[in-house]
Amino acid sequence: MLANNNKPIISKLAKNTVRANKHQFVVLFITVLLSAFMLFSIFTVGLNYLDLSRLQNTRLYGTEFDASVINGFTEEQREIAQNNSHVETVGRQAYSGHVKSTDSDDTVNVGLLWCDKAFWEDQKTPAITKMQGHYPNAENELLATTDILKECGKEHLNIGDSFTMTYEDNKGIHTKEFKLSGIWSGYGTDKINFYVSDDFYEKSGFEPEKNGILNIKFKNNYVLGSTIDRLQESLDLSSRQIFQATDYIDRSMTILAALCGLCLIICISAYLLIFNILYLSVSGKVRYYGLLQALGMTKKQLVQFIRKQMSAIGIAGIVIGILLGIAVSLGIVPYTMEMLGISVGNIKIQFYPIVVILSAFTTALAILCSLRTPIRAATEITPTEAAKYRTNNVTISRHLKKKKSAVVLLSLSMSLIVFLCLTAVINTYGERTVYPNYWNADFIICNSTQTTEDIHSLHPAIGNDFLSEITKIDGVAEVHAMRGIPAVFPYQADGFSDFWIKEYTEVKTYLSYSDTVQGYRENPEKYYGMIKGIDEEEFDYLNQTLGNAVDKQSFLNGETAVLQFAGFEIPQKWIGNSIPFQVESKKQEIKIGAVSYGDYYGATVNIGANLVVSDEYLNRLTNQASILSLNIKYGQSYDEDAEQKIKKHFNENPYSKDLFYLSKYDDMKAIQDSQGNLFAVGTAISLLLLFVGMLNYVNTITSSIQNRKLTFAIMESVGMSRKQIKKLLIRESILYAFGSIVITLTAGMGIAYIVFQSMNYMKVQFAIPVIPLSFAFLLVSIICVFTPIISYKKIAGDSSLTERLREYE
Amino acid sequence: MDNMIVKTKSLKKYYQVGCHVVKALDGVDLEVKEREFVSIIGKSGCGKSTLLHMIGGLDSPTEGTVTVDGIELEKMNHEQLAIFRRRKVGFIFQQYNLIPDLNVYDNIVFPLELDGAETDTAFIDVLLEALHIADKKISLPSMLSGGEQQRVAIARALAVKPAIILADEPTGNLDTSSSHEVIGLLKVIAKQYQQTLIVITHDLDIAQLADRTIQIKDGKIWKGNDFYVGK
Repeated sequence: MLANNNKPIISKLAKNTVRANKHQFVVLFITVLLSAFMLFSIFTVGLNYLDLSRLQNTRLYGTEFDASVINGFTEEQREIAQNNSHVETVGRQAYSGHVKSTDSDDTVNVGLLWCDKAFWEDQKTPAITKMQGHYPNAENELLATTDILKECGKEHLNIGDSFTMTYEDNKGIHTKEFKLSGIWSGYGTDKINFYVSDDFYEKSGFEPEKNGILNIKFKNNYVLGSTIDRLQESLDLSSRQIFQATDYIDRSMTILAALCGLCLIICISAYLLIFNILYLSVSGKVRYYGLLQALGMTKKQLVQFIRKQMSAIGIAGIVIGILLGIAVSLGIVPYTMEMLGISVGNIKIQFYPIVVILSAFTTALAILCSLRTPIRAATEITPTEAAKYRTNNVTISRHLKKKKSAVVLLSLSMSLIVFLCLTAVINTYGERTVYPNYWNADFIICNSTQTTEDIHSLHPAIGNDFLSEITKIDGVAEVHAMRGIPAVFPYQADGFSDFWIKEYTEVKTYLSYSDTVQGYRENPEKYYGMIKGIDEEEFDYLNQTLGNAVDKQSFLNGETAVLQFAGFEIPQKWIGNSIPFQVESKKQEIKIGAVSYGDYYGATVNIGANLVVSDEYLNRLTNQASILSLNIKYGQSYDEDAEQKIKKHFNENPYSKDLFYLSKYDDMKAIQDSQGNLFAVGTAISLLLLFVGMLNYVNTITSSIQNRKLTFAIMESVGMSRKQIKKLLIRESILYAFGSIVITLTAGMGIAYIVFQSMNYMKVQFAIPVIPLSFAFLLVSIICVFTPIISYKKIAGDSSLTERLREYE
Repeated sequence: MDNMIVKTKSLKKYYQVGCHVVKALDGVDLEVKEREFVSIIGKSGCGKSTLLHMIGGLDSPTEGTVTVDGIELEKMNHEQLAIFRRRKVGFIFQQYNLIPDLNVYDNIVFPLELDGAETDTAFIDVLLEALHIADKKISLPSMLSGGEQQRVAIARALAVKPAIILADEPTGNLDTSSSHEVIGLLKVIAKQYQQTLIVITHDLDIAQLADRTIQIKDGKIWKGNDFYVGK
């Protein structure tokens, strides 16, 4: 039998149905559009997030790498890493000495670094924003940043200019003339180092096996933990070598999984909404579908008819949604950010063609899945059933009612949960990723007026007036000053000073131990150390990091000190021993209670030991101590006003050239810059998800009230007042709002915590985003309460009770 | 002189349908005494249901007044009308209009509970017994036959012991013997509780059971002797 060509009539019917049910199909269209838009945005933002996380890593470290081997490497290890199929590049970097002074500044604290071509061209270049000149070729050439030139008192120099500097390498201290081969600017901690040529490095006496760093970059932005582990194992590291993968690459797979999870939630949200609308649409059209079948439409034609309606809406929604996604992600957000004066730096959201295919496919899949049940329901309606059908007479099964309520509740809860997850992650982005300063300080100011050999070089660059001004700044909650005074540790054969100088000569391999000891004996002041006084609160923190190894009272009384040591491990015999020293020519002695291996208390250039003592004890020793550093904490972390005021005071300090600061705010800003518009896009997506959930609720409730129009009319006819009906509706809607809030606060909080921790590089404490969440709860409650009331008002307000009752006769 | 429980004066109800005006009621003056049983007959679309809805406070007139038990309905707002309906009127619809989510018992006591009144369970049980639906107490309306649903609707109308019972073709979906039984029952209960009964019907046999029959034609009360009955 030949099939009739019934396509035109089905198409015509489908078109007319869409036209006649504009409201319903507009909601469907918006849902598809929003789903496609959000999937596109999530995929785009997610992939950009992975790329930008790598970029952020690059900017934080100043190198595009994923793992490194520090404390030296062998040529064989380099080759193994290079031949690994997952590795893209392997760069070499090595310490080559440090600058001690220039003809303009005698307190220079700048390192000398060497790197190979692979490091410079493949790994360093992405962190460079501007490069003038070239990498050093000749032995006397240097590559600098403007910061270093300023530190050396040579900020006026240009490429090709020469200057004289004294530097120390593994062969000794030298004074030579150098020429600037280039000036670069960009990101990274190496900004305070000169880069030197291959020739310079070869002659410096340093060897890659001892001081080299191997930087490894993987081919992909996301790598399995097992791949990293296998690479580490293959390198067969010595006990001295340390293999370190960056936090980003370590968690890249988790981030990718979180991204896929988010997309799944969007798909489920879209599925639930489309399913709900179509199911309600089918149950409201029982008579119509029955009539179509009574008039001869086959089940197959009915399926085609429903699919045709949806395909037009689906295609239009997907195309427009993706176009909107492209416009928003790539155009509107960066443009708006720039218009608002928010720096997005040189970061641009990348466009990935695969994302278009992926989001279109996923949305289409969600539509197809959500169509299955309503289509089955429509085809199961028989003409006889349809003829008997009167909306109010058919009692929807309790099971179906429960299912509908569950879908609405789930959809609302899911939107709230995604909103919670995204805001929790976005709100703490800076804090989660910024490296904390010592004692989690917001601002640290250090006095760097000292020179290594001159015991009298320390200037009171941070005066009491300066300290008092900083303390008075609004927003500054705590200021802990560390004061210090140079101390001479007299040489004792086999004593502490001998141990100390032996360690020193082992690090400075060009120095002879006997000559150094001889120099020490003759002029111990040249090998001076520092006595550093801290307050009680700072001691509590320090002692906590030492596992409370020091008796507090004994420390405060000045009987015990904490020794700062930069080496691997200090022999136990010195702990508990008393060490003799002289301050202002007076002999003193103090017992070592514990050893601190951190850098914070060693951040001065003296060769001798650093002893951390109590403020009170230091005051007893001298009234000439200078402030070495200020550890500042704000009442509110990242307080911009306090930060600016401190910087203003800092810049106005006559010694500002010889002071330096570390700012948590600046670190956080650097991270935010590297994140560009992800914050705005993330916020927009979380709000849109909330909107979709509410759209689902609004649609379901509106349809449900429409379906209950006769029930309400009957209730009114037997004496239920409109006020009582509204109360009934409010109670129902409060149950939805309350239910979704409870689910969000319980299961949602658990999910948010897991998502948060999976992205929590810096072990920041999980914080509930109270304000955005309260806003979302309030919004959901308002929408929940007002939607049924407005819908009811709409159905009840326009027509009389008689008309409403007659509609169904 | 007998007290008039229902009074309509020059009652008009016009509907705008497209560019035409349909005169559903066109100046109806009607008086119904307390405890009277009145039947209303007329062709389909003549305005009899509209008249009943006006008396029951379900609809408002375009012109004219409706007074029930001394209360002028057009002066009442939505809230007051709802209270009036649940206290003074028992409505029986041809389509039963039961609430599908509530079982038989809950449907019957629904108007009482809306008023916060204490339910006279003994009376409800009497009604259930009298209407032969005592065994269906916990059934949902969808589980009942048409006749059973109509009995539930009658029980609901009687439960509040209203001053006036308005029935719009209460036997429209019932067979002849059930119809007579239902009307008989209504008449007995109305008499027992001194209620006024106004019934719309297209069945002349049932109409004749009333104390008085009113015929509506083209939105007006027909004074002639010829009856125009039928749907």
